[in-house]
Formats: sequence, C-alpha cells, structure tokens
Amino acid sequence: MKSPSRQLLPLAAIALGAACCGCQDRDLYPSGPIVLICPWSAGGGTDQTSRQVATLLERQLGVPVNVVNSTGGAGVTGHTRGALARPDGYTITMVTVEINMLHWRGLTNVSYQDFDPVGMLNRDATAVFVRRDAPWKTLGELQKHIRDNPGHVKASGTARGGSWHLGFAGWLDHEGIDPGSATWVSINGAAPSLQELIAGGIDLACCSLPEAQALLDAGRVRCLGVMADQRVGQYPDVPTFHEQGVDWTFAAWRGICLPKGCPAEVRSRLASALEKVARSSAFRDPMGNAGFDVTWQPPEQFAETMARVDEQLGKLLTSAAMQSIGESRFGPMFFPTVLAAVGGVVFLGLIVTGQLTRPEQTERLSMHDLGRLAETATCVVVYVMFAETVGFLLTAGPLLVFLLVRLGNRWRVSVAASAVVVGLVYQLFAVGLRVPLPRGWLGW
Amino acid sequence: MSESLLQAFSGVLGDLRVLLIIVAAAIYGIFLGAVPGLTATMAVALLVPATFFLDPIPALAAVVTVEACAIFAGDIPNALLRIPGTPASAAYADDVYAFTRAGRSAEVLGVCLTFSVAGGVLGTVILALFAPQLARITTWFSVAEYFWLYLLGLSSAVIVSRGSTWKAALALIIGLFLSTVGLSAVHGQARFTFGQAELFQGVNFIPAMIGLFGVSEVFRNILTYDFAATTPGSQAGGPFSPPRSWKQRLAESVRSVFGASLPLLWIRRWHAIRSGMMGSLIGMLPGAGADIAAWVSLAVSKRFSPKPEEYGAGSMEGVSDASSANSGALAGAWVPALVFGIPGDSVTAIVMGVLLMKNIKPGPEIFEKQAVLVYSIFLIFFLANLLLIAAGFLAIKAGGYAVRIPRKVLLPVILLFCVIGSYAINGSYFDIGAMLAMGGLGFALERRRIPLGPVVLGIILGGPLEERFMQTLSSSESAWEAFFSRPMAAALGVASLLVWLAPLVISLRQPRRLLKSVSARLRRLRQGSS
Repeated sequence: MKSPSRQLLPLAAIALGAACCGCQDRDLYPSGPIVLICPWSAGGGTDQTSRQVATLLERQLGVPVNVVNSTGGAGVTGHTRGALARPDGYTITMVTVEINMLHWRGLTNVSYQDFDPVGMLNRDATAVFVRRDAPWKTLGELQKHIRDNPGHVKASGTARGGSWHLGFAGWLDHEGIDPGSATWVSINGAAPSLQELIAGGIDLACCSLPEAQALLDAGRVRCLGVMADQRVGQYPDVPTFHEQGVDWTFAAWRGICLPKGCPAEVRSRLASALEKVARSSAFRDPMGNAGFDVTWQPPEQFAETMARVDEQLGKLLTSAAMQSIGESRFGPMFFPTVLAAVGGVVFLGLIVTGQLTRPEQTERLSMHDLGRLAETATCVVVYVMFAETVGFLLTAGPLLVFLLVRLGNRWRVSVAASAVVVGLVYQLFAVGLRVPLPRGWLGW
Repeated sequence: MSESLLQAFSGVLGDLRVLLIIVAAAIYGIFLGAVPGLTATMAVALLVPATFFLDPIPALAAVVTVEACAIFAGDIPNALLRIPGTPASAAYADDVYAFTRAGRSAEVLGVCLTFSVAGGVLGTVILALFAPQLARITTWFSVAEYFWLYLLGLSSAVIVSRGSTWKAALALIIGLFLSTVGLSAVHGQARFTFGQAELFQGVNFIPAMIGLFGVSEVFRNILTYDFAATTPGSQAGGPFSPPRSWKQRLAESVRSVFGASLPLLWIRRWHAIRSGMMGSLIGMLPGAGADIAAWVSLAVSKRFSPKPEEYGAGSMEGVSDASSANSGALAGAWVPALVFGIPGDSVTAIVMGVLLMKNIKPGPEIFEKQAVLVYSIFLIFFLANLLLIAAGFLAIKAGGYAVRIPRKVLLPVILLFCVIGSYAINGSYFDIGAMLAMGGLGFALERRRIPLGPVVLGIILGGPLEERFMQTLSSSESAWEAFFSRPMAAALGVASLLVWLAPLVISLRQPRRLLKSVSARLRRLRQGSS
C-alpha cells in the first residue's frame, strides 16, 4: 500500500528544510552572520549603541549583525563570553569601561589584554547631580560639605564598585577626602538612582549627562559639574570639574573589540567598516540627539586608552581608601541567611502538618518511567553538548526524530515532521528573529 | 489643545503608512509574544533598528502595538501548553490551563483577550487623563516603599496559590534562594557559584519559567499520556458537522471566543475597572511591572471572591482580573517615562532611547511642547487595543489548530521550542541547562502538590527585594526605623504585615480547632514513623 509519493515525502521535506537554510561562500570575510555581544541588558545606553552600530555595520559589511544581550554578573558574563569566543571575526563585543575594573575587583581573569581593539565609539563623562532644592550651588560647596560632615551625604548612581561609583570615589580621593565620607547606596542603574534622588532617598547622583537629561531639562535636578576637561557639546551650560579647580576626569567609554588572535585582514576589514560607521551622520546625529558624546578612536589609540584607564582604575581600586569602603554592614550572606531561617520555619511547619509526604493520588515512579524521563532529558543535554560544533540542524533534527519515534510515531512521519519543523524553526529564529543559532559544520 | 488633538488624529488615522505599520506590528507582536521565551522587551528591542529609519509617530506606533499585542499573546501558550509566554501570564498559568484540559481553551482565551483589551483601554484612559498628576506618586517611592511593594507582591503569590499555604511559602523560598545564585548586585560578590564562571549570571527567570512550567508538563505528559489512543478533538469546533457556509462558520468561531467573555465583561465590569486601575498604578512605578500587577490583582480578586477555592484550579474570575491588570500596567509604565524620563519598565526604557534619538525630550513640558506627539501616543494605544481584538481572535483560532495536532507529535516539538526559547534571550547554552534543571525541579515539586507560580515570582523579585532591603538598611542610621519612617513606607509595610497576620489572627480566634488539628496531625505523624 506504499505509494511512491508517500515514500518521497521525507526526502522532499529534507530538501525543503535544506532549501530554507541556504548555503554561503565561506572564503571571504565576512561571509556569514556576525554576533555582537552586548554585556548589558536591553533598554540601557550600551544596548542602544550596540543596536545602532549593528544596523549600520550590517550595511557596510553586507551580512547580518545580530545583537545578543549577554547580561549578568555586573558585565562579567558578556565580557568573558566575548573574550573566549572563537577568534574568527564572527563574534565581536561591545566592550565597556567595566573591563578595566572587573579584574581588579577579582571578579574575573578577563582583562582588556584578552581583546583586540577595533575602535572606540563613544565616551560619556560622569556628572554630579543634586535635587533642585539642594543647598549646594557649586561643586566647591558640595565638596566642603562632604569634607566637614563625614557620613552625612548619601550618594548613588550605580551598584557599589560600578563605574560611576569609581568616578565619584576617585574624585574625593583626588581631593584628599576619604571616599568613605559619603555613604554610597548601592542602587543598580542610573534610572532607579535618579528616581531615588527625586524621591529624597539620596542627596546626590553620579551618572552620565544623557541618563539624566529629562530631569535636567525639567529642572528637577541640577548638575554641579561634569568630570571632563572641556564642556560637553550637547550641554554647553554644564560647567566642568576642570574650570571649578578640580583636576579630575572620569568617563565611561564603549568600543568594539575582537577576541585576541583574529587574523589581521579580519581586524583591518572590521576597523575600516567601523570607522565609516562612526564617522557617518547616520550614527552621529541620533547618538548626539540622545546626548551621547560620540568619540571615535582608531584601534591603536583605543588600545592606549584602555591601558591608561586600566592603570588609573587599578591604582584607585587597590588603594586602602577604596578597599575599606568595599565592605558594607550586612555581608553578602545576610539575605541568604534570613531566607534559610524562614525556609527552616516553613519546612518545620510542613513536617508538623504532615504535608511533605507524597500525596496518595500520585503514583510512585517506576524504573520504566524514570528511564523515559532520563531519555528525554538526555536529548536536551546532547543538544547542549554538540550543537555548537555540529550545528543546529544536524543536532536538533536527529534528536527530534529520536523523540518522535520513541513516542510511537512512525519513522517516515517522524523524519518528515522533524525536517519541516527544524527547517522552519531555523528560518524563523536565525533569519527572522536574529537568534544566533549554532552554525556548525554545514553553516546552519 | 483641540488643534493638536486634530493634528494627532490626522497624523495617525490619516496616514496609511502608520495604519499599515500598526497592522504589521500587531501580527509581529502576537507572534513573538506567543513563542515562549520571546518577551515583549525582546520584541521591542528587535524593532529598534527599524525605528532608526522611521519618523517618530510610525516608530512609536510600531512599539506600542507590539507591546500591547505581545502581552496578550503571552496568554496563548499559557493556556494551550501551560508555558507562560511572558512572566505577566505566569500568575494564572494553572487556571487557564485547567480550562484547556476541560476543552474550553477558546473560551478562556476569549476571556483573556476581552479583559486584556478592557484593561489596556482603561490604562490608556488613565494615562491620557492623569499622567502629570499621577507621575507625582512616583516621587513618593524610595527604596523602602519598593521593598514593601515587592514583599506585597510576593505575599500575593502565596495567597493566590491553591492548597496549603505552607507549600506555597516553601515554593516562594525556593524561588528566592535561586535568585541569590550568582553575582550579588549589592555587594558585587559571587555567591553559590562554586567557582563556575557561568553561574555568575545567575538563574535567568525566562529559562526558569519555561523549565518549571513547560518542560515539567512535557515530562508529566510523557509518563501519563496514552499515546496508543487517538487524540480527542479538544477544541471548539468539536465533532464532525455537515459543511456550512463560511458566514455560519465565522459566526460560530466568534461565538466560541467571545460568546462567554462579553457577558462576563458586563457582569464583572467593576472588577475589571478595579483590576485595570490597580494594574496601571502598579505599572506606573519604575521597577514594578505587569507581573507584580497580575499577582497583586489576583490576590485581591481571591480575597474578595465568594469562590476562593477555585483559584489555581480554573477560576474565570481570577483569569479575567489578572488579564485586565497586566494589560493596564503597560500604559501605566509610560507615565514616569513621559513625565520624568524615568522608564517604568524595560520596554519604556527602550522607547526612551528611541525618543531621544529622534530628538524628543521627555519631561513635564512634553504635554505642552509635544502635545501632538503625546496625543498620538494615546491614539495609538487605543488603536492597538482595538486591533488586538481582531489579531487576538485570529491567533486564538490558529492556536486551536495547534492543539489538535496529536500529542505524540506535539510534545517533542514543544521541547524543541522550550530549548530555543531559553537560548534566544541571551544566546547562552547555560540557560538551556538551567531550563532542564528547572524542568526536573518543577516536575518534582508538582508531584508533591507544591505550586510553581511562587517559585517564578521568587526568582524574578528575589534580586530587587534583596537590593531594596540592603539599600534601605544602608541608607539609614538606625536600621529598622528606615522601613517605617516615611508615611508611604509605613502604610505599605502595615499592609504587607496585615496580609500575613490576618489569616493567623483568624485561626487563633478558634484556638480549640487549631489545637485539635495540630494534635491530630502529630498523632498521624507518630503513627507513620512507628
């Protein structure tokens, strides 16, 4: 009862799946999609810069450039991933100033030396904001107040040890004031810190000018100074630290880097494309509108900047003054301890009320059941282990066939279904939604 | 004012391009929201490059429509597969899924859709009428208030859970514990990472949610489902019927989706208004979004319901209230973004970036200086919600077909989608592993009748809760006074303490009953151990 058309069905489906994925010439760089790792989450300034650069780079290079937010661990996750990526030019990283801080804080071994710089894109100087009704009119008054009343002023702008905190502490340290004279409230991010500033929870906020632009324009906060040598183009009214007699500058920068060890032609191709992007008005105008200070630095100059800032921050982070304010009254294990205590009470309650035993309606798992569960879980584990080297199609396809057959589908149906599903899923996610699915041996 | 309103009307409705963008964005938003793991935030972030080349109004039209549609679409996999498409749907995952198992998926999704639209429209009205006044509330919220708000949200998760409070509390503690894995945001120190670099990023809640709900359901089905038997048609449309004209079929489809939900909307109009308003008030606070709004409104709904025992086992009341709350929260998040330039959630954070790039500066004066733009945003919100009715209806019908695929084919495909959905958010293999581990955990917890919702909320809110807790402690000299010294903080604090103490006081009022039950249980325990 086998009609030829039914026998051909799986073959046709595989062909369809293959046609969906397509093949590419892999000799000339770039020949396939590039992943741009953004170590910070969607909605922030780095994400915004990344997405804009990606769009414009795509036009220069003629291949898709997909942004992946590899977030968490205060930047450790994304930077580590970018540094350890295969140095073939298909993974680039939006490196931020944190790369000069994380290794000094002992959070990772990855430093700027693990990257090959391609070019710096922008640099935003730290600025100091106070509420509009704050008693301090100038930087000098604020500085005097902090010096005379240690522990009185509460500040924030980012988490403890973050870039704006270092800018703030470095300023006090530079002026001979103990950085611990102001209490740094560890609030994750500039937006919630500014919210806390206008809610009255803190007295001053340190962050970049674009982050506070709306509140500044609305007159809800005042800017006492920006930690730069020259006034920032978009904000001619904001005085610099320099003109108020404080010779301290601090800026957070962003730039594109490759993992160490990429071929020279890849680096030069990427650097020339990036330079065109950075000098184009399609990049400069919207970035300028959003308040970012667009500063292009070619690879050599960018490398120098990274080395210089790394040294500067290293001195600051290893100084005795900074070491002492790193500790807070409640250590990192305080919250887990509280949780453990509450959890213990709940657990006791469950034992006393006799609810921890298996409910009578639930059947005991047989060995056969456990086997089936293990088999399903193993499929996922196999995918995680092999997908990156073998590729999405060659891993997901056979695994899907296996699971389908195990659930009682006929072979032919299983092969046809998985070929169609895997092909469509690849199209949908990798091409349509720009998820960097593993490419592997076949390129898809 | 009326002139700018007219200008906004002609800018939005008179421009065919804007209308086309809204339609395209609705389809895109529905689709992305319906794929587990792809959140509204990701959908909007993917849109950003396109907005570089659009004028401000079409760009905003795209973003607003995608957002509104994605939040509703999160309910579709939630109902059909018990995989919440967005965290805001996790609150009522068990409720909607219970209806699907009873073959009433079209009906319950119809309720989600209708009440989402109602909540969205209500949120827009609130945004349009009171934004500048309401934005002032944001300035009352310092870290102490947020701490209490998060605690209130977490307590709600315990309250709405079905069955034993002890078990729900255990689930919550498990979730909070999982949230402490990784780099502590407050201290900048690694915890429970065992020297593994990958653990620094902690447990991301998206893979955790997919694992806890989706993978554990796949596991359960693999064991219990009888694959030899033919699948019953579990969807509306039902048994075979003689061919009819397309008009009749359309009418029948419309009835299956809206037949129950529209009367319910009328019956529960005050509840919908209450939940929608609560949703937009909570959504307005930066750092508290649609997810907390859904939980809190569900808890309030259960407290005042005559049938609280249905919650968690298929309560149309709960589903409808939570749906209108999480959609109401969307418009709320625009209040602080427009007025102060402080984004209410991650989507509005992206929107702010887009606005600034277009040289539009948010701030109190935006309502005067950029009146046309602001009115356009309101109009687009209305249009998006109206369009959601049609787009959502089509999606529900399409989802109905998906459910009719035999389980033995569907289950492996669901697993594939779970894997890719976990991977998509950060492109990380570690997240796939986390998803699998959470699947195992979810499976084990469900066998002990421990609810999964509180685990998810614990993972989401654990970090912020700890941060606010530490910040409140470190920003004040006398530690404990900090939590109650501000009037708003004190009010919220008393409210969250009452939530916990009220049931206790009630049970203490009947001391004899309590004693009896405890002694009975102790006796049973002793018998069990001997």
